[in-house]
Amino acid sequence: MSRFVVHRLWQGVIVVFCVVVVVFVLTRLIGDPVRVMLPLEATADQRALFEAQLGLDRPIWEQFLVFVGDAVALDFGDSLWQRRPAMEIIAERLPATLILTFSAIGLAVVVAVPLGILAALKPEGLFDRVVVLVSLIGLSVPQFWLGLLFIVLFAVQLGWLPTSGRGGVEHVILPALTLAIPAMTRIIMVVRSTMMDELNRQYVKTLRAKGLLEWQVVGVHALRNAAVPVLTLCGWELIRALSGYTVVVETVFAWPGLGLTAIQAIERQDLILLQAIVFVTAIIVVAVNLILDIVYKAIDPRIELKAA
Amino acid sequence: MMSNWLTAAVCAAALVTVPMAAHAQDIVIAIGSEPTTLDPHAADDGGEKAVNDNVYETLMTRDADGNLDLGLAADWPMQIDPTTWEFTLRPGIRFHNGEPLNAEAVVFSVERMIDPDLNSEQLSYYSTLAGAEAVDELTVRILTSGPDPILPARMYYFMIAPPGASTHEDFAEAPVGTGPYRFVSWDRGSEIVLEANPDYWGDVPAIDGVTYRFIEESGTRLSALLAGEVDLITNLLPEFMEQVPQAASQRGLEHPIVILNADDGVTADVRVRQALNYAIDKEAMAAVLFEGAAQVEQGQLLGPTYFGFNPAITAYPYDPELARTLLEDAGALGEEITLVSTAGRWLKDREVTEVVAGFWQAAGMDVDVQIYEFDEYLTRLFDRETRAEAIFVVSGNELLDADRSFSAYYSMDGFGASNSFTELRDWIDQARTETDLPRRQALYHEAVAFAHEQAIMAWLLNINNIWGMSARLQWQPRVDGKMFVSTMSVTE
Repeated sequence: MSRFVVHRLWQGVIVVFCVVVVVFVLTRLIGDPVRVMLPLEATADQRALFEAQLGLDRPIWEQFLVFVGDAVALDFGDSLWQRRPAMEIIAERLPATLILTFSAIGLAVVVAVPLGILAALKPEGLFDRVVVLVSLIGLSVPQFWLGLLFIVLFAVQLGWLPTSGRGGVEHVILPALTLAIPAMTRIIMVVRSTMMDELNRQYVKTLRAKGLLEWQVVGVHALRNAAVPVLTLCGWELIRALSGYTVVVETVFAWPGLGLTAIQAIERQDLILLQAIVFVTAIIVVAVNLILDIVYKAIDPRIELKAA
Repeated sequence: MMSNWLTAAVCAAALVTVPMAAHAQDIVIAIGSEPTTLDPHAADDGGEKAVNDNVYETLMTRDADGNLDLGLAADWPMQIDPTTWEFTLRPGIRFHNGEPLNAEAVVFSVERMIDPDLNSEQLSYYSTLAGAEAVDELTVRILTSGPDPILPARMYYFMIAPPGASTHEDFAEAPVGTGPYRFVSWDRGSEIVLEANPDYWGDVPAIDGVTYRFIEESGTRLSALLAGEVDLITNLLPEFMEQVPQAASQRGLEHPIVILNADDGVTADVRVRQALNYAIDKEAMAAVLFEGAAQVEQGQLLGPTYFGFNPAITAYPYDPELARTLLEDAGALGEEITLVSTAGRWLKDREVTEVVAGFWQAAGMDVDVQIYEFDEYLTRLFDRETRAEAIFVVSGNELLDADRSFSAYYSMDGFGASNSFTELRDWIDQARTETDLPRRQALYHEAVAFAHEQAIMAWLLNINNIWGMSARLQWQPRVDGKMFVSTMSVTE
């Protein structure tokens, strides 16, 4: 177990390193932050001075060595755009994204798992058909549009909730719902199909023949066996949301999270901030994966956590 | 743990709702982007200006139409020699922290702005600034590297900061100015709060407090206004002017243009360039694309109140037949013309480009529209070697003086020019340092007429700034787009 964790951590370090190297090279090959940041009317001299101040006039390998040296110490330097440490900005924004994603995925799971199970109990029944239809709609609706629709309906027309911004619990409801809906529909589909598979298996017939109550058969035995693929999906949804799928929702709801910050950093060609965001996101993804692996083991003891 | 979190959330909810109900004379303004910093000298950033314009003040100011006026300066500045401007300050003004506004503060601010360590993004507005020296407590001389007739106009953007507070570590987060509002708090990502300065030297403002919220998405800003959460929103899209309680639209500083290549390609023929101007129905563009919230640009890249505006020159009228005849004479009918543009950077940039292409196509050109991501687009805009026949760009002129736009897009040495007219460049270079105002004006009039005759670009529109306002807010917007809260009031 502990060997496994150490091994996976080591793998994680390599993954994070690779991701950061790719981002470092790409951002420097593609854009020119000086051009984007200064007014169009700035002179060539002003641009050159600005570039030198940022250290962007040095050769790329030299920039890279400086960058790696600092990154080891978790110092990513000052954001070009905000002129303060990139890590400080991330520390401000990450909690908002975590609150949003965990509420959204939590909501998705709580709603989707019971619905998926109920649908699986009577395949092709009325309930099943309605659930499948609604899920397909939920999956096809663009999040951007859905978010604006929620705002117009619940904030402007009904006046129940605030349109946007960060504040109390009421501020998190609409963005979390918007973020949750596509995840919810995907989880419903997977719960439904895996539960259908499980319920058709021999052991279920045996359990029923033994006279177990239906809720025990479905809710304990079948669900436990269906849990691993469902959990994999939930983990994937969490990672997906954390690693940038919050961008749209955070923009629509003016939610000051990391996704919004990432898109702003890209627009302003803020290489330093972007690198730091990618670094932190990569670490979160690796960590979530590791935790999931350990949870699998807890659910299904047959799964072996091997180091190789 | 859980209950702690809940308590915190409930308290936060209470905090958010209280300010809206407590004070009728408090307003909320939604701006499109959060300030990156509140240091008045570091960034070139709309969000920072929106807030700091109310906290800081400048030596010179402008009236709502854009005419230069006195700010912290007690009297009009005097140019005592070609590179020295002398300002006298109003007496008895103090910064919000009690520091006096004096010559020393101005000297300090100038030196701070040009300090290479600050690496200010604003330097392009103050390229001639060389230093400053205090004469006495209220008299200060600003030195320029060469003769600079528009230094007073530059001083409209130059915020005066107190020497003491500016050296504090938190100066970029907690601004200290002399303005009618003083800084209260900044909750990063959420809001900035200002309150009226009771010791303000001028008229005490009607609004007691203002909260700025940052909402990037224009649909969400509109919703926040419609839901009654905010009183004023910036950059309302023209198509929503009917939906809001009040819309205010005022000629702004942005001029969309298409630079035409006078050196190479089919546009090297002046008849073709003129034809491309005649071919565009600018009035229809203003009426349909911008719902009337735009004016036809009078063929000079300048608004009527800018220094250098030539009232004798007007826009090329829409004359598709004349355009076709000119193209025919030039043998250019059916020739290909490349139109380079970008999308999502300026209001309706893609739409304007496509409409222009449509008019040119109708006139008989074969238009190849190339829309690039902004960085890639800039590569093409800055590339002087291989220039497209036509490049769409939006020129903003914050100094309201011909020099800024002309140096960039008219003069052959400018980054965005596509011509080699030495006489045009010479006029612009002369005017830049000409301190005799009538002579300077005459130089620009000549440049405007020449550029218009040569049709070095297709002048399109002067876009209005549009604000959405709640029913209770009373405010007359300004040509420079600045949102001075001291000029607002609410009815109730």
